[in-house]
Amino acid sequence: MNALARLPLYWRVVLINGLVFVVGTVALAFSPATVSTRVLASEAVVLAVGLTVILVLNAMLLRRSLRPLDRLAALMDRVDLQQPGQRLPETGNGPVATLVERFNAMLERLEAERATSSARALAAQEAERQRIAQELHDEVGQGLTAVLLGLKRVADRVPDEVADELRLVQDTARSSLEEVREVARRLRPGVLEDLGLVSALAALATDTSTHSGIHVQRGLAAGLPQLSPETELAIYRVAQEALTNTARHAEADTVQLSLTRQGDSVALLVADNGRGIHGRTEGSGIRGMRERALMVDGKLSVRPRPEGGTEVRLVVPVGTP
Amino acid sequence: MNDRRPVRILLADDHALVRRGVRLILDNEPGLEVVAEAGDGAEAVGLTRTTEVDLAILDVAMPRMTGLQAARELSRRRSPPRILMLSMYDNEQYFFESLKAGASGYVLKSVADQDLVEACQAAMRGESFLYPGVMSALVRNYLERVRRGERVSATVLTPREDEVIKLIAEGHSSKEIADALTISIKTVERHRSNILGKLGMRDRTDLTRYAIRAGLVEP
Repeated sequence: MNALARLPLYWRVVLINGLVFVVGTVALAFSPATVSTRVLASEAVVLAVGLTVILVLNAMLLRRSLRPLDRLAALMDRVDLQQPGQRLPETGNGPVATLVERFNAMLERLEAERATSSARALAAQEAERQRIAQELHDEVGQGLTAVLLGLKRVADRVPDEVADELRLVQDTARSSLEEVREVARRLRPGVLEDLGLVSALAALATDTSTHSGIHVQRGLAAGLPQLSPETELAIYRVAQEALTNTARHAEADTVQLSLTRQGDSVALLVADNGRGIHGRTEGSGIRGMRERALMVDGKLSVRPRPEGGTEVRLVVPVGTP
Repeated sequence: MNDRRPVRILLADDHALVRRGVRLILDNEPGLEVVAEAGDGAEAVGLTRTTEVDLAILDVAMPRMTGLQAARELSRRRSPPRILMLSMYDNEQYFFESLKAGASGYVLKSVADQDLVEACQAAMRGESFLYPGVMSALVRNYLERVRRGERVSATVLTPREDEVIKLIAEGHSSKEIADALTISIKTVERHRSNILGKLGMRDRTDLTRYAIRAGLVEP
């Protein structure tokens, strides 16, 4: 049996088929069965039974050898690189077992590659956003500020007939400046770098309740351990996405936003009292959160709460550089 | 403070154009005089050692030493100057961080042309200056706490103040409120200052305490 298991798949199929044919032939040769030139009905029955036995035997033997291939194909269909760690059990030692083993190794490589390449892409995107936000702030924003201040000086000295017109120009400059600031803020929240994660989350909470009217219950623990900038950014972006989802889809009136220490990890929790996510497929928002979590070795779970609503939980180990 | 002597102002902003614009506006105002300019926080702190300054106007974000760090440094002095922060960020976290760092006011650059002089005067009177956005954020938070049945303050607002506070929460400017209630801007501003007093948000310390108690900022 062991020698058989080590045979290449091709030879195994040939061997099994050959074996079955030999058994058939031998049975035919040593049994008293005969076939007339014109086949009789009784002979046809015997032939049909014999053929069926051969086919069934062949099918059973082949199936035993090939079943792991079907399982492999099913996993290939199902596998989702965003939820890493799915592997086939490596049992047996036949050629299919080798295939499974190779396949698992390939999954491993793909997952590693995907993690690094999406980390690189996200980091590049964030760096670019930061650069643009910075430039908007420093160049366009400050320029417009200087324009506004200059206009004010002029406005104090112009005759009344142009004062109204000038006020319009001032208002235009002001709304452009506010626009620039808003675009820069959406690209990259300066508060995260300047004041840290807890302040950035507090600002996010205020923004959410201002724009959506949802009451945000905060539980931002003081004295959290020092986190790397990447971890802070990942936590911030996950919280941002989760709160956006709540505001857009949940029809909730209260959402809980908390950041706490749990042993060697910090845990972010965004839990609302809306209509939950039952039966809905994961959108790009949640996939994005998974990607962020993956980059900092975090564990993300999105699930309906027993009391109604949705909960997003991200647990990130502290001290991973 | 002697009325004859102008308020001596140190101005720190890393953008020369902005600095020039601010300076022109302040110098144009009787009673205010810019006596020193700095391009970053460290230079600002250095200048206060050699120049006597009553009021420091600091940009929140500057290279070398940010405005917030400089404010912290300055307010540790034995007789610190009054401090105003100048900022692009319409974000109450920066505002409270500025108060914690010792500043008595926070002026948004997008409304600096309108608010700056008033903020300077408020700072010299020892009052805090709230930019419109943070004012409505605070008031909204207050109203929401009232709605949820929390006991928020001991004093009761008059019906008129109630009207004013709701309009502030909706983000209306003093002028809009004055038009809506057909009263003068001066009256609106008096109501506003009374409301702040009653809610315990008059000065820096009060405001910080309120924000921490209301959970708007972390202690």
